[in-house]
Amino acid sequence: MNDSLLVSHPERDRRPIRFVAFGLIGILVFGLLTFRLAYLQLSNGPAYAAQAETNRTAKISVPAPRGLIYDRTGKLLVANVATFAVKITPADLPFSRRDDVASRLGTLLGMDPSDIIATLDSAPGSRFDQVRIAQDVPEATARVVSESGDDLPGVAVVVETRREYPDGALLAHILGYTGSIDGGTLEKLSASGYLADDTIGKAGIEATFESTLRGTYGVELMERDATGRDVQVLQTVQDAVPGASLTLTVDQTIQKEATAALKWGMKAAGLKRGVFIVMNPQTGEVLAMVSLPSYDNNLFAKGISNKDFQALLADKNKPLTNHAVQAHYPPGSTYKLVAGTGALQDHKITAATKVRTKGYLLLGPTRFYDWNKRGFGLCNLNCGFGHSSDTYFFQLAGMLGADRLAYWGKMYGFGKPTGIDLPGEAAGIVPSNQWKIDALGQPMFAGEVYQSGIGQGYDVVTPIQLINAYAALANGGKLYRPQLVHDIIGPDGAVVRSFQPELIRKLPVSAKTLVAMRLAARSTVTLRHTYNLVDMPVKVAGKSGTAEFGTRDSKGRLPYSSWFVGWVGKNPYKADFAKADSQLIFLAFAYDSRTKGNAGTEIAKAFLQLHFHIKKDYLNRDLLHRGNFYQSN
Amino acid sequence: MRVMRAEPSRFADVTSRSVGAAWRSYDLQLTTYAGLLGAIGLVMAYTNSVEAGQSLLAGGTTFSRALMWSALAIVAFTIMTALDYRWLKTLAWPIYGVNLGLLVLTLVIGDGVGGSARWVNVGPFTFQFSELAKILMITVLAAYLGNREGHLDSLSAILGACLLMAPTILLVMMQPDLGSSLVLASILAGMLFMSGASLRWLLAMAAGVLVAIPIAWTYVLRDYQQNRILSFLNPAADALGSRWQVTQSQIAIGAGGFLGTGLTNGTQSRGDFLPVQESDFVFAVLAQELGFIGAVVVFLLFSALIWRILSCAWRSRDPFGTLFGAGLASMLLFQVFVNVGMVIGILPVTGIPLPFISHGGASLVSIAIGLGVIQSVNIRQHRAEW
Repeated sequence: MNDSLLVSHPERDRRPIRFVAFGLIGILVFGLLTFRLAYLQLSNGPAYAAQAETNRTAKISVPAPRGLIYDRTGKLLVANVATFAVKITPADLPFSRRDDVASRLGTLLGMDPSDIIATLDSAPGSRFDQVRIAQDVPEATARVVSESGDDLPGVAVVVETRREYPDGALLAHILGYTGSIDGGTLEKLSASGYLADDTIGKAGIEATFESTLRGTYGVELMERDATGRDVQVLQTVQDAVPGASLTLTVDQTIQKEATAALKWGMKAAGLKRGVFIVMNPQTGEVLAMVSLPSYDNNLFAKGISNKDFQALLADKNKPLTNHAVQAHYPPGSTYKLVAGTGALQDHKITAATKVRTKGYLLLGPTRFYDWNKRGFGLCNLNCGFGHSSDTYFFQLAGMLGADRLAYWGKMYGFGKPTGIDLPGEAAGIVPSNQWKIDALGQPMFAGEVYQSGIGQGYDVVTPIQLINAYAALANGGKLYRPQLVHDIIGPDGAVVRSFQPELIRKLPVSAKTLVAMRLAARSTVTLRHTYNLVDMPVKVAGKSGTAEFGTRDSKGRLPYSSWFVGWVGKNPYKADFAKADSQLIFLAFAYDSRTKGNAGTEIAKAFLQLHFHIKKDYLNRDLLHRGNFYQSN
Repeated sequence: MRVMRAEPSRFADVTSRSVGAAWRSYDLQLTTYAGLLGAIGLVMAYTNSVEAGQSLLAGGTTFSRALMWSALAIVAFTIMTALDYRWLKTLAWPIYGVNLGLLVLTLVIGDGVGGSARWVNVGPFTFQFSELAKILMITVLAAYLGNREGHLDSLSAILGACLLMAPTILLVMMQPDLGSSLVLASILAGMLFMSGASLRWLLAMAAGVLVAIPIAWTYVLRDYQQNRILSFLNPAADALGSRWQVTQSQIAIGAGGFLGTGLTNGTQSRGDFLPVQESDFVFAVLAQELGFIGAVVVFLLFSALIWRILSCAWRSRDPFGTLFGAGLASMLLFQVFVNVGMVIGILPVTGIPLPFISHGGASLVSIAIGLGVIQSVNIRQHRAEW
């Protein structure tokens, strides 16, 4: 080695060609790099600059505070509370770790891991949208979750507001609730600014007044780093505008009275479902609306567990259904209002016309029984309506015929949703010849017309339709749309929309006819068809009803469901029902009552005692014992 | 006779020739270009430190460490310049042994990311011996091939060089460090080419390597290495994986435009969109913040530096100097090409640092040693007689 170290090689072959080749390769390399760089920076520079900007910034929605809801006296019915929510970004959660993360999170949050997986799988947004897993997480738990970043990839704790309903089940059917938006709804509403992890009103007023309550979400330009963490707000593109607040027509105190009365009656009579509605017939304002069984809407606002939700769905008495609005039932004798009004207005009878009532009417070989096996003899309107004689109204229905009967039913608002501010309202059925041809292929039989006349045919009504029809009678013939929202109040406190009664129609009925029907309704009370209601200090006119339907008992008998709809005058202690000045009408509906007495009437009396602070107890508890059917309409 | 003539010159460089004479053959341009590149490296360390929100001179920041390594590099460069490079020829075999020893040591006690063993902690420093191995192998190969000048038409010398390089490449691959292995291979190829080895045999070997690729793919490359190459070949398949780095760096580069966004204003790097922005992807930050102009200046500096190294290699009357220069030039050219090519999306992602500019002391100090040797070659010979 040393030998060659010292040798200089003046004759060395330096291979200039290889030096030149190396140099050319170098030039080629730097030329290629420069060319590519020029392509990226010079010809495509602006496009990449824009991409770098979008890379860095994101438009963030800033949720607007949702509007509040008050009762008519100003009591707060819905509040917004700040809660810790746990959310998962599916894109950041490796699939292989899903089960592991779900079970860890399940343990921390006290949730079923399968619920977490199900929530993730049913999330509507993209994999990059956060999915709300739990709300109302206690602060200590939230802290643990947010500190276990490595063990819980993709999991984040977010502070958000949720709805709190201080009265829970008391107003659940009116207020409804908000919940996580589902995929189909999101698709329709994402253009209106709804986010994948957004909440939306899903039932009740929360749903019907969603756009009013929601407000307008703000938009902020947020600087983000590569991992999607927010660095800082660069610009507020649009300020969030809080939602408007609502003042309801509902009076929380009356709602409580109605609920207490209905609960008492349901317990005393062993009822499965019940409805109580209170309205002002002069305006269509709903003062109270109770549907039992109810549910705690806070469960939904907090994010209901699958188990709780399945339990509510499985309940035969459908606590999630607002039976006052979303379900229809045979009206029974309360429907005699239609036949009576129609027969008077179509001049088939006058209030004084005497009609022979019997134990039963014969129609061919078929007997149509009165509830009273002896009948009531010759009966005028007060007698027929007051005693609720079935044979009287069979004959009136027969005089009118199916189509006129249906016409008057429709005039009173039956067969069509009333338009109350609640979602999912049922329409009910008013059977006419055309209806039966459409539904069953043939016109109404005469016997079916009879049954319709006493509300036990094909006709079904919602409780809200029924009270609204009687409200039109009580107010002198004006059929109003029932309303639940009195005022809409802007975020600045100014009234955006104040209450206006909305007339559906003026009944094509003379004042005389209506006076006759109101007096007939009073005779229901004075003839003691409603027992001791007449003895109460408040003077009531109204109508009871019983209908057989539902599931037969062991002896093959159908359960009875009973109604009472009644009103008091402007001065409730004065019995002047020729006047149409009532400001309080109420309806009780008792489903599946196997009692001697009319549970509906007893519940109405219980309400009156509470509402008018009547000290003496007029309730006939003994009549409500289950077991014996009370044969009355 | 030849020995007699050589003996005095071997020991008398500093004594018999004046410092002034040595200075005249010192390549000031080379030092200037290297210094400018090193300064740009410091500037990038500064901007990365600022963007990472570090206080500049606190211990352990990108910038303060870069300052420290720069100082070390200057010391190494000076020492190597002063040292007679011919000692390296004498010590070639011990150097080879030390090189293999350090690489084995790395495998035994080294640390790395995810089960790899790439660097060794030496007190407060971490050092990647695979970087040093590049310079050490250039030295060893220069000595070996220089000894065989004139006999390089034969296959045996070529195979001998390959055999000499093979253990180093294998040890580096075992870390595993594909990038450094490729650099070592490029050094071997460049030096063989410049040594005047038979082109026929070189081409035959290149063909052999092509044949070996599928075998290496199956038996040598790790999964993530395969993935990186696959993602380069099929970018759409892996948008957020290794390809993501490249996409983000292209966005960064493109956003720089002609003049750049200015130092510390790289939005891509500020937002951490660029992975390993201070090391392998530093060029993306540079191109965004200094623009096309800044990048071209860097290219020109590299070109000029490589030109000066090659001209030293050309002038050297000692084949060791020629070959050492060829090896160093090959290494620099290959690293710049592969690193920048990766960042601008024309080559797959391999962990090869950009000389001078990527953060990392071992690379800088190793290059400084190499450049020191070049200067040592420059000042210890008479001008070529042509």
